[in-house]
Amino acid sequence: MNNKIISPSDALDIVKKSIVKRRSRDNRLKLFGRIAIGLAVCFLLTLFYSIFTKGYPGFFQYYVTLDIKFDRERIDPKGDLSDNSLFDGEASKIVNESLYSIIQPKGRKERKIAKKIVSSGKDVRIAKMVKNNPSLFGTTAIVKFALDDDVDSFLRGYIKRETPENERRISDKAIQFIDKLNEEGRISYEFSDYILSGSASGNPEMAGIKGAFIGSMLTLSVCLLIAFPLGVATAVYLEEIAKKNRITEFIEVNINNLAAVPSVVFGIMGLAIFISIFGMPRSIPLVGGMVLALMTLPTIIISSRAAIRAVPPSVRDAAYGIGASKIQVIFHHVIPLAMPGMLTGTIIGMAQALGETAPLLMIGMVAFIVDVPNSVLDPGTVLPVQIFMWADFAERMFIQKTSAAIIVLLGFLISMNALAVYLRKKLERRW
Amino acid sequence: MLINNDLKTLDLTVGDVFSQNPRLKARNVSVFYGDNKAIDNVTIDIGNKEVISFIGPSGCGKSTFLRCFNRMNDTIDSCAVKGEITIDDENIYDKKIDVVPLRARIGMVFQKPNPFPKSIYDNVAYGPRIHGLSENKEHLDGIVEESLKRAGLWEEVIDRLDSPGTGLSGGQQQRLCIARAIAVSPEVILMDEPCSALDPIATAKIEELIHELGNDYSIVIVTHSMQQAARVSKKTAYFHLGKLIEVGRTKDIFTRPQHHQTEAYISGKIG
Amino acid sequence: MFSFYILVGILLISFVFFFLGKNQAKKVAYTNKKKLHSLIHYYGLYSLLSSLIPTLGIFFAITICDDLLFAELIKKYIPDEVVNSKDYNFTIVLAQINNSVEGLIFGTPPEWVANAAAIWKSWVLKSNTITMAVCTITIFIFGFFSLKKIQYEFRSRNAVEKIVTSILAVSSMIAILTTIAIIFSVVFESIRFFALIPYDEFLFGTIWNPQFEGADRAGSGQEGLSQYGAIPLFAGTFLISIIALCVSVPVGLFSAIYLSEYATSKERAFFKPLLEILAGIPTVVYGFFAALTVAPFLRSSGSIFGLNVASESALAAGLVMGIMIIPFISSLSDDVINAVPQSLRDAGYGLGSTKNETVMKIVLPAALPGVVASIILAVSRAVGETMIVVMAAGLAANLTANPLEAVTTVTSQIVTILVGDQEFESAKTLSAFALALTLIIITLAMNFYALHIVKKYREQYE
Repeated sequence: MNNKIISPSDALDIVKKSIVKRRSRDNRLKLFGRIAIGLAVCFLLTLFYSIFTKGYPGFFQYYVTLDIKFDRERIDPKGDLSDNSLFDGEASKIVNESLYSIIQPKGRKERKIAKKIVSSGKDVRIAKMVKNNPSLFGTTAIVKFALDDDVDSFLRGYIKRETPENERRISDKAIQFIDKLNEEGRISYEFSDYILSGSASGNPEMAGIKGAFIGSMLTLSVCLLIAFPLGVATAVYLEEIAKKNRITEFIEVNINNLAAVPSVVFGIMGLAIFISIFGMPRSIPLVGGMVLALMTLPTIIISSRAAIRAVPPSVRDAAYGIGASKIQVIFHHVIPLAMPGMLTGTIIGMAQALGETAPLLMIGMVAFIVDVPNSVLDPGTVLPVQIFMWADFAERMFIQKTSAAIIVLLGFLISMNALAVYLRKKLERRW
Repeated sequence: MLINNDLKTLDLTVGDVFSQNPRLKARNVSVFYGDNKAIDNVTIDIGNKEVISFIGPSGCGKSTFLRCFNRMNDTIDSCAVKGEITIDDENIYDKKIDVVPLRARIGMVFQKPNPFPKSIYDNVAYGPRIHGLSENKEHLDGIVEESLKRAGLWEEVIDRLDSPGTGLSGGQQQRLCIARAIAVSPEVILMDEPCSALDPIATAKIEELIHELGNDYSIVIVTHSMQQAARVSKKTAYFHLGKLIEVGRTKDIFTRPQHHQTEAYISGKIG
Repeated sequence: MFSFYILVGILLISFVFFFLGKNQAKKVAYTNKKKLHSLIHYYGLYSLLSSLIPTLGIFFAITICDDLLFAELIKKYIPDEVVNSKDYNFTIVLAQINNSVEGLIFGTPPEWVANAAAIWKSWVLKSNTITMAVCTITIFIFGFFSLKKIQYEFRSRNAVEKIVTSILAVSSMIAILTTIAIIFSVVFESIRFFALIPYDEFLFGTIWNPQFEGADRAGSGQEGLSQYGAIPLFAGTFLISIIALCVSVPVGLFSAIYLSEYATSKERAFFKPLLEILAGIPTVVYGFFAALTVAPFLRSSGSIFGLNVASESALAAGLVMGIMIIPFISSLSDDVINAVPQSLRDAGYGLGSTKNETVMKIVLPAALPGVVASIILAVSRAVGETMIVVMAAGLAANLTANPLEAVTTVTSQIVTILVGDQEFESAKTLSAFALALTLIIITLAMNFYALHIVKKYREQYE
């Protein structure tokens, strides 16, 4: 035998010689892997860090404390606390007078500057207070008013005192007034009562996410009510009832395709079908929910089918064995046993729907809507779209409010996903 | 019941565990999976250029023990090995020892044929390539050819070296795996039930091959078939519940087992 | 609101039929002095379903159709001079009338709008009465018919199960309907677009400059004003996707290799979900991050090296999109790498391979089709991704390969064109549908191809 194969001892020598090099190559790959994971985690942390550092201050804002004389004649001239009467009243004037008494502006021009320090929502705030508590009339109370967003930015240090006057959004005189208020100890930095309970507003200091939040909840409810039953019904039909034939195969192909269609396309479909053809109104949570339902349907169907498939055939056999009909087996045994899996998939689908923006832009949920929607037929917007709109505004304070809104959105998404994980862990059955 | 009670009192292996010309020496080897003891205090020699069979009922730990010799158990996180196994008086579980040269010295053939999804040629050339054993293309061709010849596969694949190894029949695949192991010039070849996935004709061919290879290599073969052990090996070791019960010449084990448990197994009372 | 009340009414009445059905069954059982075929509540359910379903069908049919009918009928009430005027657009006129109906009046609308609105309102009232009448009649006819059917021989469980099965079957058709709706909504508008703009200009033109100018551009001699060459959009999409891949493929692939081959089970249990968080973050958040953190950072670090980075650059959008698709690549690759049988790894280790050699020479080549498929799926995500590019990539249709400049993409153009006010008939609006059609074709083709590869790959190891 011509010995081409080298002898074991020679082979061992060769292997031992090259081993250092091969080991270092091995370690290099391991290092690359670690670097890759490190990078991904780093990206994640940077993202969270930048959102949280920007957004945390968004939950707070600067307020000025003023003594307000609740003079019924001036605030509520008709005396009936109606919106009209309060609108005709002079609440703003009262606030301004209280402000002037502290900072003593001289002349019309200075008064104009002084007036602008306090946010323009002051009359609304007083109207709300007297409506909730009419016994305030006739008393003098200490009330906190939000400061204008430029003043807020100045106090936070985003607008610098050193910047020449003509280059900053706030005048020297205004700074003088603010200093005066500060000396008197009337300016405070507090948890914002606008961010969570306010609605869309052009004034960043008064903008809040309540309207968008309610809109999101309404949209999500519609989405859930449509997508969950449809998704489960489809999954049950395909797994338990339908025979394998051309039609079911075609349905499956369609489901897979829908899962791959970009979300913006669902928006176009909503625009063309629901709005243009069915004549439904734009901007309403009902249409938004319908579009999102069709978008999340594949997710729910796919996870529900997996859950149904995980129910062992022995359960079905047992039920058939005591004479149950197919539908009884499905509704009494298969669906209850598969429910945890179906719910997990549904929650994940809902989380996806909650964060979705593009399709809702298409169906006009991007309109500037101040009122909080009361039903699924009222025009409204949703959190991610609100974030998108705010991100476009130039005012410095909107960046913080946007980040704050993102924190709220992420909080919801994380808790939804945590719920899904918990459900899966808690209800997971090993057969 | 009786068997289990007896086991508790038994600690020593019956028969001659030592070899005159040992290649691998296992001393007091125990293997744990977490808290579970899979191998309990086993001592045995593997002789040079000798075929030895490990037999025993399934779950007795014979495969686990086999995988200790080339440290394949390293890939399982929860697995820990105690005691020592030496080759050339070096403990292979020593921290200084690198598994790469160790595994190059101690080849392995698995239960299910597992050719790489590559051509037949590349399958055999894989080992020499990663270890850098060939000087040039011609040399590599030579190694591949001779390995395939020694595995008795050359005639069957001579004109389709470029077709995928996964396209061969089960028996051919297993012989390809043996050729692949031979190509890296090992001293010992471990075989973990190499015929369990094969039909009788393929099995016969492999057994014949093992018999021949016994002239050049030390071979440890795990098998659940007593007939196979009898056909291929000179020596046989019987394992039961993680313990090595009896070692001896195959002939003796099958005709005059000394331990009653071995006897029970041979006569089919333990399955 | 009125529809809502009708809906509630229908539900209530059908519940009444549930009890009527049960009663009827009890009566039948009593007169025959024998047990019925099915449990008593199946008879109730039968009555409920057979009264509810047809009524709901009719209700929705009427509600959907009446608006369409009104829109058609109202045309008669639009004065001729308005119809014949140059900038007449029925969609806008209709919106005007609708606003007026809902009481949203801006300024003083022309008299004919007010008249039309009044007529519309009267129609709505009439239609409400008709809806109510028709629904009531239907529900009672079907309800009493179902009660009549409840006789001793009647097998209500089988009937109910038949109905339930058909409901399930119909639900599963929604997937097909949605697909049809998607195709329907883009194809017709696209055909109209290509009637105005030749398809070769759209596919091969290099200048994208859509303007609102009415539908009659083709014959109006206004060439040069508006141009619909989509190449810059395709190029922009491509550029951003490439940048995204440059980030996500190495990071995702090496992460997957590390997690499946090197990591301990604890590391794996910790890092895998952590990476998947990246996939759960809404795209609008990524967009915000790209526009407000990454873009300024790139701009300032670019200026250190004397590079002029646009404030909305392809690089910023691409980088952030790359981060977004890391988990797609890492999870899918991880799955396919894990699908490579352990026996192949054992074979490699048994021959004395290092982990590196096992991964690079055995596992990855075996998993390659799956890895490629996961990359294709990730690309199709990147191509269809909207918010990041809308917020961070800009709208300038530059045909450039320079990642530091602003580019635009197919999706961001769709959004820009379709968000806000639009003339339905104009070539600009229609172009969005043509873009959407292209987008669908591209993503579906990639998806099909990827699934095909994965399927073949799975078969190999099964």
